[in-house]
Order: sequence, then C-alpha cells, then structure tokens
Amino acid sequence: MNIPDDLRYTSDHEWVRVEGGRATIGITDYAQDALGDVVFVQVPDVGATVELGATVSEVESTKSVSDIYAPVAGTVAEVNTDLADSPERLNEDPYGDGWICVLEVGDASQLEGLLDAEGYRALVDGA
Amino acid sequence: MPARTSPLDRAHRALGARMVAFGGWDMPLAYPAGTLAEHRACRAGAVAFDVSHLGTVRLRGPGARDRLQRAFTNDLDKIGPGRAQYTHLLDEADASVLDDLIVWWAEEDRFDVMPNASNTGRVLDALGPGAQDVTAERAVLALQGPHARRRLHPISAEAAAVGRFRVAVVKWRDAECLVAGTGYTGEDGVEVAVPADRAQELWSAVLDGGFEPAGLGARDTLRLEAALPLHGHELGPGITPLQAGLGWVVSWSKGPFRGREPLAAERERGVARRLRALAVPGRRPPREGQAVLVDGEPVGTVTSGNFSPVLGHGIALALLVTEVGEGTEVIVDARGTELAARVVPTPFVGASEPAAVG
Repeated sequence: MNIPDDLRYTSDHEWVRVEGGRATIGITDYAQDALGDVVFVQVPDVGATVELGATVSEVESTKSVSDIYAPVAGTVAEVNTDLADSPERLNEDPYGDGWICVLEVGDASQLEGLLDAEGYRALVDGA
Repeated sequence: MPARTSPLDRAHRALGARMVAFGGWDMPLAYPAGTLAEHRACRAGAVAFDVSHLGTVRLRGPGARDRLQRAFTNDLDKIGPGRAQYTHLLDEADASVLDDLIVWWAEEDRFDVMPNASNTGRVLDALGPGAQDVTAERAVLALQGPHARRRLHPISAEAAAVGRFRVAVVKWRDAECLVAGTGYTGEDGVEVAVPADRAQELWSAVLDGGFEPAGLGARDTLRLEAALPLHGHELGPGITPLQAGLGWVVSWSKGPFRGREPLAAERERGVARRLRALAVPGRRPPREGQAVLVDGEPVGTVTSGNFSPVLGHGIALALLVTEVGEGTEVIVDARGTELAARVVPTPFVGASEPAAVG
C-alpha cells in the first residue's frame, strides 16, 4: 500500500498536499483499490466555495459511488479536467495524475486536524 | 452464519482476487486485472467465472417433470432431455418472481435446477420432498466469450461442442461433468458443473488454456449490457414476469402452475409498469434506486445502472410506467444531478461473433 510521507490524510481515505495556501486533494491508493475501476469523476466548479466536510466531488466506480469530502474549507482554484475522459487516472496514479482539485485554503488551522502518513497507515492497517 | 466458500476459494485468493459477500457466499469480485479488463476480455476473448454460488437442486424419478411443470412458469414440453430452459418461480399470492432460474434437463428422469444463490431454499420448498440440494457436491465454471469454445476444445472437445441451451453429461479425465450451453454475459459459451474435488484441476486447465479469470463485477456489467435481469434488482418482491418484459417465460397453454391466477389477473387488467432500458450520453451512470422523471413527474425507478465498458457511456434498467415507451426522453435524478437519458431498445450490446472451433 503506497502512502507517501509528504502528504496529509483524512480518515475518509483522501490525501491532501499542502503548498503555501493551496491544498491539492485526491483519493489514496487504498481508496482506489477498494473502489475498483473508476469510471466517472464529478469535479467541482472552479470558484465554488466549500465548507469543511462538504461533498466536493463524487467518484463512481463499476462497484459504487463515493462522496469525496472537503478536508478543509476553501475555494476551488483548479480542477483536473483530464478526468472527464480519463477517470482511470485515479486508479493508475492516485497521488499524481489522478489528483481531483485544488482548494484555496480558507482556514489553515483546519489542516492541523489531518493525519500524517504514519497516522493514516495505522488507520488503514487497523481497517 | 459464516459465508459459504467455493471449492475454488484458495485458487481465487492465490490469484489475488478481491472477494465480496454475495448471496451468503464469499466470491471473487475482481482479480488484479480489474472489472473493466475482465469485461473486455469476455467480449473479445474468453473468460472463466466461478459461479459455484448458484444452487443446484436435483430432482429425479418419473414424477419429476410434472412437479417442475406445476412449480415453474415455462413449459418443459417446449424442450426435452438434453436441453436447458430459463423459467420463473412465482409467489402464489401476487405472482412476484421468487426466483429466476435455469432448468438443466440432464436425462429423461433427472433435472438439475439452478437457482440464484440466496433463493435455493425457496426452490427446494416449492419442489417439495425428494428435491435434493447438491450445491456442495460440485463447482460450476462459466466459460464465456467469442473464443470460449475454441479455447475449451483442446481441454474437452465434447464440452466445447455443447450447443446453445443444450445439456450433456461429459466425462473429463474420468470426472463426470454436466455441461450446458448457457451463461449470463450475452456471449457464446458453456457452463460446466464439475465434481467439487475435481474443480481445482479443471480451473487450472482452463486458465492454462488461455481463459482469463473474471469476477462478479464483470459478470454484473456484462449482464447489464446484455439487458439480462438480476434477481433482487429487476426481479423480486412486487415484480412479475410481465412487468419485467419476460412474458415469453410464461406458458399459458400448459395448465396450472404456482402464481398463475394472480398473473392472469394482471395480464387481464394490463401491467402498470414495464422494465425499460435507459442510455445516457455521458460516462456518469444512473444507479439503482434513483428516480426517473418526465416533465418533472416521477415515472419510475432505476433497478440497475452502470458504466458500459463497450459503449463508453452510462446504461441502466428501470421500471417505468407503461406510457413511457422507447424513444422517450427522461431525466434521472442522480443524487441531485439531473441526467438526461433516453429509453432505448435492448440489448445494449449484442453478442460478438464466435470464433471457429478447432
């Protein structure tokens, strides 16, 4: 199970890459494996504001549909438009080309509630 | 109650299969190749499914045929020994489909009835004393795809030659198997019931022979493209064969059968809803339970929906009021997002041309 050390994580199996005031988000290797083949990703609208814990994206696999929750409140700055034709990137490269969107972080203190790689690994191992 | 496992359980785990609970069994959902790759392999090549979770209920003796005629909707007089038939078991009270199943007429006085995993008990009850649950004695492999017969031929030429909806007893390396020209993918192929203690040997032989293993995930997307119903979704409580568009499964000329009266009453008054096929232009599929609307008014509910790997867009089956026919534009409420869909003919995807054998 690939869990990069330089990312932060949520207990809902999302990863967050914090760079300056921006947070890139996606789903973890564990999540993509559990979902199976991803066939559709609903990305948010650029400019939309999201609350902490609100649904920011929906990921549909051959098996099910899953909500992706905002790990931090903010404004959607960028979305991965390549996912419209290539949703399988979530399976193939969950921490790279399979990124979902970038949020302009509204309240940086919320980032402190995220798990580090070690904490997330403990969560997955206990799952 | 612990989940039942197939005689091939260890083989699946050794292949790295992701397992899933289904109908009281623990069965492969997908192998490492994944559902989409397994799906495409079945449409273009040959795949092997372990479908040991299907039940096998055996009925023998001179009274067996008559008992089946009274229990199920279809007419065994249309076929004979060495043939298979799709049929329904109905609820006596309201003609709901309690199970959809295939009868393998193996020999003159021997029938192997193949219910859905979780409905085996209902079929045993309906058939009464003498019906024997032999599910644990065998494994069942579904060998499907346009190249299935060609790849099976070197393993068992006899099995590869069993025609569509034919049934034959076939000896494979001295193991007595029952082979039927049936499946659930919309492709050509056969299903092989092999004694449980020989299942591993046959499974290895078919994988060595070029069949790709495929799991329940692909089985579901394949059957949906073929617009084949799945019990618990398109068939079940409150859903009759007529609503499901499966009137051909019901014989009105053969005499009494369970559920005949309520079904005849429905035929008389006309069905209130019909199973229809929906296609959406985009990748996002309608999903089970989502409401279908016309002009803002609810007209029915999606029973199954998924992405079609062959067509590259979302497809679904839905129970809709009868006024909503083919060609109608509808809206599916997909968790608050409106998906524009069209009622289309079935199947979504037809069978591939089978490869020549030998």
